[in-house]
Amino acid sequence: MALRRQSVVLGVLLAPVTLFLGIFFLLPLCIIAVFSFLTPGLYGGVEWTFYHWNYGRIFGWADGFIEIFEPVYLQILWRSLSFAALTVILTLILCYPVAFWVSRLSDRWRLVFLFLITLPFFSSLIVRLYAWLLILKPTGLLNTVLLNIGLISEPLEILYTPAAVVLGMVYVMVPFMFLPLYASVDTLDRAQIEASLDLGANRVQTFLKVVLPQTLPGIIGGAVIVFIPSVGNFVVPDVLGGAKGLMIGNLVEQQFLSSRNWPFGSALSMIIMAVVLTVLMVSVRRAKKVGGHA
Amino acid sequence: MRNPYGWAALTVFSLGFFLFIYAPLFVIIGYSFNSNPVNMMIWEHFTFDWYTGLFGLSDRETGVGNRAAYVESTDQMLAALRTSLTVAVFTTTISTVIGTATAIALARFKFRLRGFYNGFLMLPMMMPDIVLGIGLLIFFVTVGMNLSMLTIIIGHCTFLTSYVFIIVQARIAGLDPALEEASADLGASEWVTLRKVLLPQLAPGIMGGALLAFVISMDDLVITYFVSGTGDTTLPIFIFGMIRRGVKPEINAIATLIILASVVIAALGLWLRSRKTD
Repeated sequence: MALRRQSVVLGVLLAPVTLFLGIFFLLPLCIIAVFSFLTPGLYGGVEWTFYHWNYGRIFGWADGFIEIFEPVYLQILWRSLSFAALTVILTLILCYPVAFWVSRLSDRWRLVFLFLITLPFFSSLIVRLYAWLLILKPTGLLNTVLLNIGLISEPLEILYTPAAVVLGMVYVMVPFMFLPLYASVDTLDRAQIEASLDLGANRVQTFLKVVLPQTLPGIIGGAVIVFIPSVGNFVVPDVLGGAKGLMIGNLVEQQFLSSRNWPFGSALSMIIMAVVLTVLMVSVRRAKKVGGHA
Repeated sequence: MRNPYGWAALTVFSLGFFLFIYAPLFVIIGYSFNSNPVNMMIWEHFTFDWYTGLFGLSDRETGVGNRAAYVESTDQMLAALRTSLTVAVFTTTISTVIGTATAIALARFKFRLRGFYNGFLMLPMMMPDIVLGIGLLIFFVTVGMNLSMLTIIIGHCTFLTSYVFIIVQARIAGLDPALEEASADLGASEWVTLRKVLLPQLAPGIMGGALLAFVISMDDLVITYFVSGTGDTTLPIFIFGMIRRGVKPEINAIATLIILASVVIAALGLWLRSRKTD
């Protein structure tokens, strides 16, 4: 009796999430998968016949007659992956020393700086990107300052370059790298570091053998959290990147809102999904391994 | 740190890091008071014109173009703000209820699919928003649903439910189940125990989750971009559109107001959290 009532309560608690995410999350993902194998309609929309050339256009088995293989898609995919990887590396280099510094501050200052790093989470993404538009544009703050102090004689072309896109992504993603990193730096066993130094290991050895392994979970966590939204990002390249900064997210957006080739856009989305799932699976496996060693 | 020079270098680097995060925001705030309408990098004099202009109180011309080229009106901006708030209120309510129910179910009941649900609820957070956005777009069009405020709310709830779930789950993990066991032993039914014992203890976690959901919903750009129809524009989409059409001094004023609002909300969040630990 009691057991039955329990399962009723459980059912009531779980029904909303199951229905909601089943219909509005799982089903749309399945529809993307199905659409990526359908024929694009002449005027947008789809025809319900099997079609594998959406992928052929990307990976090269298009016949050159009905569909044309364009190496540009693979280039853009490669660019997205490398921009995302670069973003991970740069945010890591920026955040690692700062996480150390913050963890060594007095309680009061630590809270102040932790608040300052979480504040961007609450502020608008588009506003933060807009700030960089103001700074980087040809008549922007950076060029005005550099021209005035005489460092350059011609305005630098930074806006609408790949560098601007990576800079924008680093700026937006920095808090996401910082927090997991800080969590693992904060729990570092200081006694072990002292012991390592006392026993004659130098700073580099101590860092590589003691500090790095202990903070590895934070590094992996931060890397995954930064990489995933970066790889499919379309807002940053849209605002700060030109044609050379185009990423796979922009390509997907174009297929849906201007070219109206939904099956091809779905195929591109499937690639983003595949990249994300691969990264997640590798990181979960890696995390288990790290956990197993400790 | 044993090496004082090392510590000083680290301090300089770290302060530079925080300058990197905050300087751009101050650039916007500064320029929002610059009266130069042509090149906002050249300081003319202090003005409130862009703020009063936002609310239709000033008739100063913007930019070099003529007034007719200036399509954004005060009414449109206020309508976008209203849409954002309406969407955020509904999204917060729905995702908080669903997320909390799920967190309680997974923490307090043992059942076979628990591991599956735990993993499954991470997915909407990890899925790039563009994939979720176009998935929902195809779905809504396929089933014949018109894009409207309702589709925006649904879109936001799909991933915000997971955010609320995680925060409430963390709170439950810190609770002592003995209180609920005592309640059950004393003859209270599951529902009564849930309502009278568990929920009051969870309140700070639920509030935190709701606040986060509200803030993210107000700020969401990508999913809204794909699932909003032509009629309902949210504030981030409105600003995105303005920026795409070119930089104008009014954007600085809106952006400054948004930065101010987010500082207030973040402070509120901090205050809620400090109350929780009391």
